[in-house]
Amino acid sequence: MRVQKVNTIAEYTDPAAPGWGSVEVTEIETIPAPLGLQPTEYIQVSWEERPYGALEQASLRAVHDGTSIAIQMIWEDPQPSTGAGEGFPDGAAIAFPVHGEPELMQMGSPEAPMQFVQWQASKKQARSVLAKGIGSTLPGAAVGETATGSWSGGRWTVVFTRSLAGEGESANLVPGSNTQIGIAVWNGSNEERAGIKAVSADWTALALDR
Amino acid sequence: MTDKRQVAMVIDLNKCIGCQTCTIACKTQWTNREGMEGMWWNTVSTSPGEGTPKGWEKMGGGFRKGKAQPGKLPKQGEFGTAWNFNVEEALFQGDKHDTLGPIGGDPNWGTNWDEDIGGGEYPNSFQFYIPRICNHCTKPACMEACPRGAIFKREEDGIVVINEDHCRGFRFCQEACPYKEIYYNTVTGTSQKCIMCAPRLEEGVPTACSRQCPGRVRFLGFLDDEDGPIHKLVYKYKVAMALHPEYETEPNVFYIPPLAPPSFDEEGNPIDEDRIPMDYLDSLFGPAVGPAIDLLKAEKAKKKAGGESDLMDTLIARNWLDLFGPFTTNPKDVAKTLEERVQNRQG
Ligand code: SF4
Ligand code: SF4
Repeated sequence: MRVQKVNTIAEYTDPAAPGWGSVEVTEIETIPAPLGLQPTEYIQVSWEERPYGALEQASLRAVHDGTSIAIQMIWEDPQPSTGAGEGFPDGAAIAFPVHGEPELMQMGSPEAPMQFVQWQASKKQARSVLAKGIGSTLPGAAVGETATGSWSGGRWTVVFTRSLAGEGESANLVPGSNTQIGIAVWNGSNEERAGIKAVSADWTALALDR
Repeated sequence: MTDKRQVAMVIDLNKCIGCQTCTIACKTQWTNREGMEGMWWNTVSTSPGEGTPKGWEKMGGGFRKGKAQPGKLPKQGEFGTAWNFNVEEALFQGDKHDTLGPIGGDPNWGTNWDEDIGGGEYPNSFQFYIPRICNHCTKPACMEACPRGAIFKREEDGIVVINEDHCRGFRFCQEACPYKEIYYNTVTGTSQKCIMCAPRLEEGVPTACSRQCPGRVRFLGFLDDEDGPIHKLVYKYKVAMALHPEYETEPNVFYIPPLAPPSFDEEGNPIDEDRIPMDYLDSLFGPAVGPAIDLLKAEKAKKKAGGESDLMDTLIARNWLDLFGPFTTNPKDVAKTLEERVQNRQG
């Protein structure tokens, strides 16, 4: 997947920004996060016979302006859930390796962590999260993360932004070089939360224009 | 570190009058903040009945043969939401006033909704009250279900608490707890539950529900304290038992099962038949309930005939403070020293 260089990502932060029309689309396939990797026996037994992570793919586009990156993610969801009251919100996340070669399905390890930016339909603020394995997420380093979502016509369009540079234990994205991206989607109306989600089965290569 | 110990409670169902003083003591102490309007960390419901949340005994969770069981996520409507009343319109509008009632139509469920309905057929109807709190289980299904490790059991007293800084509101704990003792706070986005008045116990003060109970119903203490009433009732006399032991979470709240007057025949004469069907008690407390009822009846008869009964004396609790094991401090005294301690710290 290519990250096109643009003048400023400010023109892309709106999910419906016209500029996105001329950016290449990459389809990333998703599967249900494996039941066997769910961190507690309770979650495994309670979802054994319940379908989840039914989403099959999401469409991604990405641009950067030398300082920040904007990623647009579109996926089908006929029944949006904002998580009002006691509902569970729809959500999505984009992940990058911090260093080493983290296993996406395992959500990294202490030696090879990953960092993700998470959007939830219930919140205005995006979250930066550091993961060093399943069930071990911690607040991640601030990377100027934002996420804006909008639902129409049976699908969500979310734009994530963050700075390319990351300090400390965070993913550093360098123009002219390659890294990897992974995604996750939670369907709130199906009570999907935590590890109950759709995920990209493996990393997708991400090439940043110089 | 400290030794592993377990705080426990014994609730004598023969003495509970269903007054809800415990419920309100808890409400005013712990659940009077935002987002907690519909929370009742202590409930008292009539048995038989649907209870709180409605039909909780059919919602699953807990373990069977050691294996976690799926549970239903209880909804706020099943607990009952808080009712706001049209006080202004009903009481302060002169002659043209409305009738006092809940805003937004008639509610259809709430805690203690099915009060005093009970079971059985007249003249053999029966009912009793079951006060419930979190059982601070030895095998907490809530704790084992949480993918974030946000729930833990304190070493020093076995109290099960939720670390709200780690909780992300996933609510697997709510589903997994077979007693449905966890609530979700939509304002904080976290799960919340009975904390066994941990900050009070730390100061030697009994739980608010125990101390406020006018019926002297709720014994408190450490399970391993051989001089305390809990150990006596649970282990020595074996008359206190967990509610639904088949859920396999090993609760640390125990109940003295209820005795009842005999049944009547068609002519209204008492007959030698239990008013509260034994199979019903069995379904609540398991097979240990039969021998416990027999012993309670025998000791009661002994006492009635003028004999001695250590068991009955323990249950009667003539000395109020004997109820609370080591937790006999008056909260007033703690409040005083707390002030001093704060002042000292401020120099
Ligand atoms: S009663 Fe429920 S909430 Fe309390 S410790 Fe047991 S399983 Fe957890
Ligand atoms: S305060 Fe005591 S008597 Fe009253 S309902 Fe609670 S446990 Fe029963």
